[in-house]
Amino acid sequence: MASRATPFRPGRFLPPDPRVESPYRLTPQTVFRIGILGFLVLAAFGVLFFRLWSLQVLSGNQFLQAAENNQLRLLRQEAPRGPIKDRHGRILVGNTNATAIQIWPADLPKHGAYQELRRLARILNVPLADVTKQIDEHRGDPVTPVTVKDFAREREVRYLLEHQAEFPGMRIADTFVRRYPFGDLAAQILGYVGEISPDQLKEDKGYTLGDKIGQGGIESSFDKILRGRVGLSQLRVDSLGRPTSPVEPRQPALGGYAVRLTLDAKLQRAAQKAIVDGINRAQENRNWYAKAGAIVALDPRDGAVRALASYPTYNPSVYTTRKKRQLEPLLDPTVAEQSDFPALNRAIAGTYPPGSTFKPVTALAAMQEHILSPYNSLQCTGSLTIDGHKFNNWDPYANQAMTLPTAIAQSCDTYFYQVGKAFYDLPADRGQPLQRWAKTFGFGEPTGIDVGPEGTGLVPTIKWRHDTHTKKTDPCCWEIDRLWKSGDSVQLAIGQKDLQVTPLQMARFYALLANGGKLVTPYVVADIEQGGPDNGPIAGPLVLRQFQPTVKELNIDPAAIQVIREGLYEATHSSLGTSSGVFGQFPIGIAGKTGTAEKVVDVGTFNTLTDTSWFCGFGPYEAPRLVVCAVIENGGFGGEAAAPSALEVFESFFGMKAAGVNTKQAD
Amino acid sequence: MVDYVAAQRIATARPRARARDTSFLRSLDWVLLLATAALVAYGLWAISGITQGDVQGDSNYYVVRQGIFALVGVAGMAAMVLLEPQFWQRHAKPLYVVLIAMLVIAPVFGAEVRNTRRWIDIGPFRFQPSEFGKLLLVLFLAAFLADRGRRIAERQTTLTAIGLAGLPIVLVFLQPDFGTAIVYAGCLGAVLFVAGTRWWQLAALLCVAALAATFVLWAGPAVGVDILKPYQRARITGFANPSHDPGGSTYNVTASIIAVGAGGPTGRGVEGATQTNYNYLPEHATDFAFASLSEQRGFVGATILLLLYLLVIWRALKVITLARDAFSAIAAGGIAFMLLIQIFINVGMTVGMAPITGIPLPFVSVGGSSMVANLLAIGVLQSIAVRRR
Repeated sequence: MASRATPFRPGRFLPPDPRVESPYRLTPQTVFRIGILGFLVLAAFGVLFFRLWSLQVLSGNQFLQAAENNQLRLLRQEAPRGPIKDRHGRILVGNTNATAIQIWPADLPKHGAYQELRRLARILNVPLADVTKQIDEHRGDPVTPVTVKDFAREREVRYLLEHQAEFPGMRIADTFVRRYPFGDLAAQILGYVGEISPDQLKEDKGYTLGDKIGQGGIESSFDKILRGRVGLSQLRVDSLGRPTSPVEPRQPALGGYAVRLTLDAKLQRAAQKAIVDGINRAQENRNWYAKAGAIVALDPRDGAVRALASYPTYNPSVYTTRKKRQLEPLLDPTVAEQSDFPALNRAIAGTYPPGSTFKPVTALAAMQEHILSPYNSLQCTGSLTIDGHKFNNWDPYANQAMTLPTAIAQSCDTYFYQVGKAFYDLPADRGQPLQRWAKTFGFGEPTGIDVGPEGTGLVPTIKWRHDTHTKKTDPCCWEIDRLWKSGDSVQLAIGQKDLQVTPLQMARFYALLANGGKLVTPYVVADIEQGGPDNGPIAGPLVLRQFQPTVKELNIDPAAIQVIREGLYEATHSSLGTSSGVFGQFPIGIAGKTGTAEKVVDVGTFNTLTDTSWFCGFGPYEAPRLVVCAVIENGGFGGEAAAPSALEVFESFFGMKAAGVNTKQAD
Repeated sequence: MVDYVAAQRIATARPRARARDTSFLRSLDWVLLLATAALVAYGLWAISGITQGDVQGDSNYYVVRQGIFALVGVAGMAAMVLLEPQFWQRHAKPLYVVLIAMLVIAPVFGAEVRNTRRWIDIGPFRFQPSEFGKLLLVLFLAAFLADRGRRIAERQTTLTAIGLAGLPIVLVFLQPDFGTAIVYAGCLGAVLFVAGTRWWQLAALLCVAALAATFVLWAGPAVGVDILKPYQRARITGFANPSHDPGGSTYNVTASIIAVGAGGPTGRGVEGATQTNYNYLPEHATDFAFASLSEQRGFVGATILLLLYLLVIWRALKVITLARDAFSAIAAGGIAFMLLIQIFINVGMTVGMAPITGIPLPFVSVGGSSMVANLLAIGVLQSIAVRRR
């Protein structure tokens, strides 16, 4: 540049003059900084460019899908759930049409949503906290409706229909709710239907938030079959949820399949009544703590359960109406305890000491082990002292030599104490045959019934005793308590002390006696059928899947079983038999055994020793078709409380009445 | 004795004479002019598509308004070209007074829109002082720093500049307009940078800014000092993790990213852009205009816009090198960076790379103040380019 040639350029020839500003020059430093700025610009644009490339070119389709879904709202039409029927096709659980009030959280107004929900909750008479909690759970998924009330009353629906404009985001939808024509019949087996919980959602694939699924019982274990397939239709909406297209159906709703049970509604009803009667009888006999019981009735030939009753019970429809007072005993642990756990299925999950009903197990095991000859008499006395301990007979005046059938018939404890001692005295290399046989007969493990949850019970063994009593659990005496002593064997022989069984396990064993040595697996679901109209048995149901019973042959000496069967028949028919007064005059030959099991019960303020009342038996004696096991908790003598209850079930099954019933205080 | 004063007069007189020699039109930066024209036209075309369905019965409502603003802006730009840049340098002090006055008036007398007071109503139009404030701040700071001359390297100068810029930044922040405050701060940094502030001072400034950001976003709320409003903080911290709460504070980012991505390589067209048309995308004509453009015109359309921006900024950088004096150079640098930071934050937020703040996209977003202010800034650039060395 020409100006550079002038002699006045400061700094080169002359020192800079403080009074004069040097003219502006583009210094290399400035150029460097502009370069950095330029680099920054390129970097910024490069980053944006590649981000756009990745969003639009590389994953454009994926976002296109997201944009499409954004505006598609799937409407779900609930499918009618399949019915649950009894063995004759009577509807135990059906459906009824109902109107549900739902909320689309996405469509709630930004301001005033809380007021709207509060008003809605007040109108529908549901707790506001429940509604807001549900909406919270549905966060992250604002396009699935939240059901505020499943079964709205007609006047509520009418009011909301008239004032629909005041409740943006509310939807009134048709739905189905479960109907229980038989009320509390078999409540614990059937289960109920409720909205899926977040935990269930996590563990079980194939469900979506807001689904109603089976909770407990058959409803839960056969949910996939009962639920059917939801219908889907779609609707385009704008961001405010306003529809921009008509509703297009995509997939019709398909009703669920029907599940037919082996239960007989009539017998089940009789069994439930029999428990109540048994409790009343026990109360009359001053067994004040008798409040609960269970009855199992099954077909000994294949294990089909004909009745499975548990008391106290409840009406499953409380889960539909959701009244707090009625739901509390089922959901709140404290209230449940005060109401004796109505949700517990005592027939399969209740565990009790079996008492004398276990004696046939001892006898059969002893004969199989060849340590007992059934027709060699043993002395039955009022008490027996073994290793310094005195063990009493229930009848202190007994003094007679007895064969096995008589000992079973009169339930002689001292006879079985001797058998128990004989088991104890076996050399160690024989193991623990009584416990082994008990396990073989299905005690101490779940029966494998197709509805849960099932109790396992407990067969005490030497190892169990050793493992249970430790310094921690039993600080004073663990070193002694952990040892298996002769008393343990003696008590086990009469089904006392640590042994715990469920009524179903006991019924299964009596089925084995009835069918000549075959161990059945109890089941309650007979088959799965095409769901038909809801209101009654349909002509010619289409069976989709038949469940085959599993029967296991144990190859037990038939003679040994026959001896026990004789004993059981004597018990119900000979004059000194423990329940001959109950069954003696019944036209069908019933064979069975009473049981009176001592149990320490915490009745709230103190502990007391009460008797669990048992009866297990089968009939007709020659070709058994039904096994019944009845338990009355804290009911006193088996002959007094449980045996007459079992008789009621037999009466209902065979359609005959006993000519007369005389109970007596017999074990 | 050398007559220094006379020598200086000669030294500075020569370029001025040269500028007068050359034809005014020929000396215009034509690339910048054409790029700006293309950008305005492209922006109008984009807005016409984006706002097609916004006003019932008048699909061209916004594009016509925006066109009028563009014309006003072009007139202003022409005026700027005719005005010597030194005009701003000479009147730096009144400039600052006007800047502060505007920013004070806005929150006091302004119209409240969505809980912020950024606008002043003038007749039928709504005037947003903080948009013009960007340009005024850059010009004022450039004048201040240019006047300091060699004393630019002193700490005193830098601190004073920060103090002077701090007042408008705080005022804008209080409106509250967090995004524009960031733009102002960015302009301050750029002006200092171009003016030649020492590296260590710049580094210290950067550290302080980083610390302040940490305090405002995380440490402050933790000890109970809330400088930002919760919604602002949620947006800023939420952009790092958009899937965290798609229904809430990050809804905007999620909707915007979906819109951009759904555009694909060539776009969904005006009719097919459901994110825009069904209002899934909030503020689709203003803050999220880029997302709408990307949805409608695709990668190609978005890239064309970015390239036009790049062209304008490249010319702005070029103008720095041509500047006749320190003030011009610093002002050009500030304007270039002002455009860059607005573009980057706005586009970045629509693609999930920058926090959500309400900054308009230059020359595209619906809004008169932004359009006019940006055209005025380009006018200043032209004016500097015309009077190049």
